[in-house]
Amino acid sequence: MGSQVILKRPTFWIILLATLAFALVPALTGNLELRENLLLGAVYIILASNLNLMIGYTAYVNFGNIAFFGLGGYIGLYVVNVLGWSLWPACLIAGVVVSLLAFILGTGILRLRGAYFALATIGVNEAVKAFVTNFEPFGGASGMYLSFSSFNALGGARHALWLAYFAIVVLMGLSLWLSLAIKNSRFGLGLFAIREDEDAAMVLGVRTPRYKSLVYAISAFIPAVAGTLFFFKNGVILPDQAFDLTLSIEAIVMLMLGGQGTVIGVALGAFAYEQLRGFLLVSSTFSQFQLVVAGVLLLLIVLFLPEGFMGWVYRHLPRLRRVIE
Amino acid sequence: MYKMFAGVLLALGVILPGMALAQKTITIGFTTSETGKLNADAAPQLRGFELWRDQVNADGGIKAGGTQYKVALKHYDDQSSAGRVQQLYTRLILQDNADFLFSPYSSGLTSTAAVVSEQFGKIMITTGAAEGKTYKLGNRYLFQMYTPADEYLTSALQAIKSKDPNAKIALVYSNDGFSKGAADGAAKAAKSMGLNVVLTESYAPNTTDFGPVINKIVSSGANVLIGGGHYADGSTLARQLYDKKSNLEFISLLVAPDIPKFASLGKAARGVTVPSQWEPTVAYKPDFGPTPEQFREMFQKKYNTLPGYHAAGGYAAGLVLQHAIEQAGSIKTPAVAKALNAMDATTAYGHIKFADGKQDHGLQVGHDMVLAQWQKGDDGKLHSKVVWPKSAANAKLVFPLTTYHQ
Repeated sequence: MGSQVILKRPTFWIILLATLAFALVPALTGNLELRENLLLGAVYIILASNLNLMIGYTAYVNFGNIAFFGLGGYIGLYVVNVLGWSLWPACLIAGVVVSLLAFILGTGILRLRGAYFALATIGVNEAVKAFVTNFEPFGGASGMYLSFSSFNALGGARHALWLAYFAIVVLMGLSLWLSLAIKNSRFGLGLFAIREDEDAAMVLGVRTPRYKSLVYAISAFIPAVAGTLFFFKNGVILPDQAFDLTLSIEAIVMLMLGGQGTVIGVALGAFAYEQLRGFLLVSSTFSQFQLVVAGVLLLLIVLFLPEGFMGWVYRHLPRLRRVIE
Repeated sequence: MYKMFAGVLLALGVILPGMALAQKTITIGFTTSETGKLNADAAPQLRGFELWRDQVNADGGIKAGGTQYKVALKHYDDQSSAGRVQQLYTRLILQDNADFLFSPYSSGLTSTAAVVSEQFGKIMITTGAAEGKTYKLGNRYLFQMYTPADEYLTSALQAIKSKDPNAKIALVYSNDGFSKGAADGAAKAAKSMGLNVVLTESYAPNTTDFGPVINKIVSSGANVLIGGGHYADGSTLARQLYDKKSNLEFISLLVAPDIPKFASLGKAARGVTVPSQWEPTVAYKPDFGPTPEQFREMFQKKYNTLPGYHAAGGYAAGLVLQHAIEQAGSIKTPAVAKALNAMDATTAYGHIKFADGKQDHGLQVGHDMVLAQWQKGDDGKLHSKVVWPKSAANAKLVFPLTTYHQ
């Protein structure tokens, strides 16, 4: 899709505005609490929108997408902590290495379809976790702890955490832009064809194995970079934290909430989910049974809005389909 | 004369209220694992915090510089996950205006929280966080209550050396962060003590069949086993060691035997030792705060259960902070941090001293682990007895176990 064409898309401008708002509002107000809230929202949007490339665009349910995030975190922190490199090349190395691994791995496991593929992705997550737990250069089961002095290279902890935040917000914008660009490209049409009927797509000339491997690798890149930034900001990475299958499942819930296959819907679903969990957690009324409330709300949404929030919007305001993709 | 009397009364009326202690509240913020896999360990720690708060407030609060401070605890659920820890600690500091912080439960979450506490220059008393690495990253305001993980098994090794200096030791541990840290420390300590480790083996934390591991222990010729991990694997390992008649002379496992229901293993539990941060029967003589016996009674009265070391660590964290504030005569961070750096005292929880060098600031260097052993009492039931070190012991170590198990 040409750059001029994408500039005419209202969704592009919505993404740009949202990204600017995420970056500027906490920076201009100096509100650190808001920054922390938005940071988690941005990470969830990154995870959900990249997962959307697999589930929403290609109909391949990937339970193991958190493996990209965790492995990216490990590779990035290893480069920063052990090799002593700067954060930025560490991010790039993490993204490239994880993407390449995903491409190679995808070539094998994407021969599976449906439930078999979904199960295989859980296996990938567990296998990567088991490998990292026993891999001494990554600290094995004890993980890696980042020295506070690592922040000094970026102007001290306070400055470094702001930089990590801005970088995550940029990744969020890039994730959404990537989703939009792929959706409106020939490659995206190929993916949609696979989603609707993979055999028919093959007959029509879509090179499905290559398309699937490519989208699997693409969906790994930004989460891996985000993993480096997130765990750099956390200061520690442990196998249980890095490969938490619950987060993978939560990302799927976010897709369902917002409307899988959409760009803005998925972002809204992720953001709303994060805000809801965050609110319930600190609410004096709901904090004691926040999991119950979250569960009931999600059940209601799945029952009454099976197509997600954007599906509901499109049903009632069909014209918006052209404006908000 | 009347005028003079009235003048004195007036002066007293002005001065006396001023002399009475002003009363304020200090807020201590922390996250705790109300849900998730760490809940079982974090819940007693929270009880320890709350018992301390209730007692301080019942006594009128913490006295510092002419002001009496009531204590308020503000805490959120971290769901046993690091994902929201920094968000919640930022909220505790900025929105809830926490004056001091306690750590979450577990080393991983504590390290994550420490990035925020250090950024804002807030004192954080850490409890339930034994991993020593956290304190070697260049912090200024962390203070660790637990003996570091790499010293967990040192007391067991000392006990072994005193009974059998030529013991053949099998070091078998769960491959998780905490247990690996403890095992690595034990391997180094055994080497420096001149003890002979004949087998070092890790197993997956969710292992349920220890047959192959036990076969390795037996074929290594080991007469002593140290290691383990957490409750599920540790209790299963103890049961299978007994079932397979491993004939070990000494067994010391992490965590699992410190949980009261371990006694339900019956004969398989008899004689098994556990390195513990604290036991209800320790015999420390505190410089301030209640005696171990008084703490045990207060806790039991409030919660109808015996306190374990998680609860004692939580209670002592509050006690240590209170003492530091009183010593500093202020709630200002630099003054309280100075008092904590200088602390060298014994509480009901044991000896407390923090490293104050730049390389390992806040690392706990005063507190000793005790070794507890499940022993058969006169009533025929199993009781956990402190057997090491001798200064805290209330029973003799049963060694070897080979005849004891008959």
